[in-house]
Amino acid sequence: MASGFQSGIITRGYKSGSIIYFEGDKSEYIYILKSGRVLLTYTKIDTGEEVKEEVRQGEFFGVKSALGKYPREETAQTIGETSVLVLTMADFERMILRNVNVVRKMLRVFSNQLRRLGKTVRTVLGESDNVNPDIELFRIGEHYFKSGDFNKATYAFKKYMEYYPNTDYSKLAMDRIKTISSGGAIPQPAKPSKPVPEDDLTDFSMDDDSEDVFSFDDKPAPKKDVKPEFSFDANPHDAGVSSELSSEMDNFLSDDNTVDDFGDFDFDSKPASKSEPTLKEKFEDGLSSFKMDNYKDAIEVFSEIIGDGMPEKQQDKKIFIDSYFHTGICYFNMKNYKEAMSRFAEIVKNYSDSDRMKESLLYIGEIFETAGQKDKAITYYNKVANASPKDSLNSKAFDKIRALQKS
Amino acid sequence: MLELDEKFFGRFGVEYTPNQIIFCEFEPGYEFYFIQKGRVKITKIINDREKTIDVLSAGDVFGEMSILEEEPRSASAIAIDKVRVLKFHRDNFDTLLQGNPQLAYKLLLIFSKRIYDAKRRLMILLLEEPSVKVMDVLIMLAEQNPQYDMEGEITLYTTAQQVASWAGMAEAEAQKELTHLTRVDKIDLYEDRIVVKNIRDFQRVIASRRKNLYS
Repeated sequence: MASGFQSGIITRGYKSGSIIYFEGDKSEYIYILKSGRVLLTYTKIDTGEEVKEEVRQGEFFGVKSALGKYPREETAQTIGETSVLVLTMADFERMILRNVNVVRKMLRVFSNQLRRLGKTVRTVLGESDNVNPDIELFRIGEHYFKSGDFNKATYAFKKYMEYYPNTDYSKLAMDRIKTISSGGAIPQPAKPSKPVPEDDLTDFSMDDDSEDVFSFDDKPAPKKDVKPEFSFDANPHDAGVSSELSSEMDNFLSDDNTVDDFGDFDFDSKPASKSEPTLKEKFEDGLSSFKMDNYKDAIEVFSEIIGDGMPEKQQDKKIFIDSYFHTGICYFNMKNYKEAMSRFAEIVKNYSDSDRMKESLLYIGEIFETAGQKDKAITYYNKVANASPKDSLNSKAFDKIRALQKS
Repeated sequence: MLELDEKFFGRFGVEYTPNQIIFCEFEPGYEFYFIQKGRVKITKIINDREKTIDVLSAGDVFGEMSILEEEPRSASAIAIDKVRVLKFHRDNFDTLLQGNPQLAYKLLLIFSKRIYDAKRRLMILLLEEPSVKVMDVLIMLAEQNPQYDMEGEITLYTTAQQVASWAGMAEAEAQKELTHLTRVDKIDLYEDRIVVKNIRDFQRVIASRRKNLYS
C-alpha cells in the first residue's frame, strides 16, 4: 500500500507498549498501520464498557476524529515493535483522490455507525423503532392535512400512493389528494354542447387499457403516471400535476350547484308554440319508451333532443343532460357498453356539475367492473362514495367497493 | 464550495420554492443532495408536531444516508428559502466519486462530524438528572466552537428551546433548569444567548457524573 504514496509522508516507529495517542487528545493526524500491532481501547458510551479492537495492517486509524476535528475517542497503543505512516489531512485527501474504493468502504462504515447511533438515540428518547414506513408516511400526510399545510400533505399522500398503491390507506390517500386539489379550484363552466361524433368513440373496446379512450380521467391511478426514472422527483412540475388534477376533479366534488337554481326563474317565458311539442314533452315521450324498456325508440327521441344542441334555458339544459344520461342507461341495459360509456363520459367531461354526475360515475364504475377492470371500477366508485352531499348513491358505491375488494 | 457545482448544475440541479418538501420522512429515498443556495430545514413529526432538528445551508449535504443503505428517510427536508441543490442518485454515486474524488473527501468530513455530534448528543441523553443534562448541553455548545477560551466567560448563542431539544426534554423543564443556574450565578440568561461564567466547573461536574454512571 505504501508504494503509491507521495513523498513527504512520515513513517514512525514505536516500541512495544507505546501510546500513539490518548483518548481526549486533539490532533489532525491520521495513521496507517504498516507493520506490528496497534490496539485501540475505547469506552462504549451507552454501557460504559471498555472495548478493545485491533487494527489490521494497512488499515487507517484516527480518521474520524481528525476529519471531524474532535478529540480522540480511543487510546491507540502498540503491541510489539510497530511502524505506522503518519498522514496530515492534506496527505490523506491526496490519497483519497486516487483511491475512491477506500473512501467507499469508509463511507459505508461511517454510514452504518451513524444509523446505529440514530437508533440508540431514538431508543433513549423513547421513540419506537418498530414502525411501518407506509403507515408512518400516511400519518405525515395526515399531520399536514389536518394542520392545513396542503402542499406538504399532497406531497406525502402522492408518495404514499406511489410506493404503497395497494395498501390500507391508499384509497383514503387518494381522496385526500382530491379533496385538496378541489379546495381552491374554480368550477368548470358547462361547455356549450355539441353532439358527440360517433366515430370519435368507435375505437373503444372493452379490452382496451382504456387510458387513451378515457383521457378525460386517467389521473386517479397515479402509479401509472409515474415514470420510474423520475419517481423520486419532487420536481417543480408537481404543481402542474395537481392543478391538472383539480381541473378534472373539483367540479365533481364541489357541491355548489346553487347557480343552476336561478335559471329556473324566468319572467320572459312565452308559451311555446303549440304546433311543436316542447322539449319537455319530447323528453317525456322518450322517457315513457325508456320505462317500457323500449330502448331503441327511447334512444331515437333522446338523440333528437341532443341533436338540437344545448338549449338556453336552465330547465331545458337539465332535460338535455338527462337525455344523454338516459341514452347511456339505454345502451347500458342493452349491454352496448361502448355507447353507454361515451354518454356517461360526456356528462363527466362536460356537465360535471349536473345532478346526473354521481349516477354517471357509478355507471362508469359498473362498466369497468363488467369489463373486468377492477381497479378502474373502484376508482370511480370511490368518487361517488366520497362525493358530497351524501345520499343513497354514496352507500351504494361503498357496497360496490366492498364487494369488489372481497372478490 | 465544490468546484463541480456549476458544471453539474445542468444535469443535477434542482430548485425548490420556500416551504416545498424536498423529501418526506418515511419515504423511500435513493438520492442525496448538496445545497448550493438557500436554506433547508430537516424536520420530524414528533407527537403530531413538526420539529426542526437542523437547518442547513449552502455547502451542506443532506439525504446522504441513502447512499449506502436501504432505509426510508429518517426525517423530512423542506426548503426554507428559494433553494438550489444538486441531486444525485445513489446509482451515480460511483461514477460521481470517480470523477470527483473531492466530493468523496467532503462526504467523509461530513460523516465524521455527524457521527461525533450524534455520539455527543447520546452522551447528554444518557445522563440522568435534567440539571446535569442542561449543563452538558452548554458544554457541548462551547466545544463546538474551538475559538472559545474555556478558561474565561463564554457566550453561547442559543435559546432555552434549543437546549431543551438537545437534552431531549420539554422546553419548560429546560427553562426551569436554566433559571436555576442563573439564580446560583453560574450563567446569565438572555433572550438570544446564554453566558456561561465558568465552563470548567460544569465539565468537572459532568465528568464525575459520567464516571458514576457506569460504576
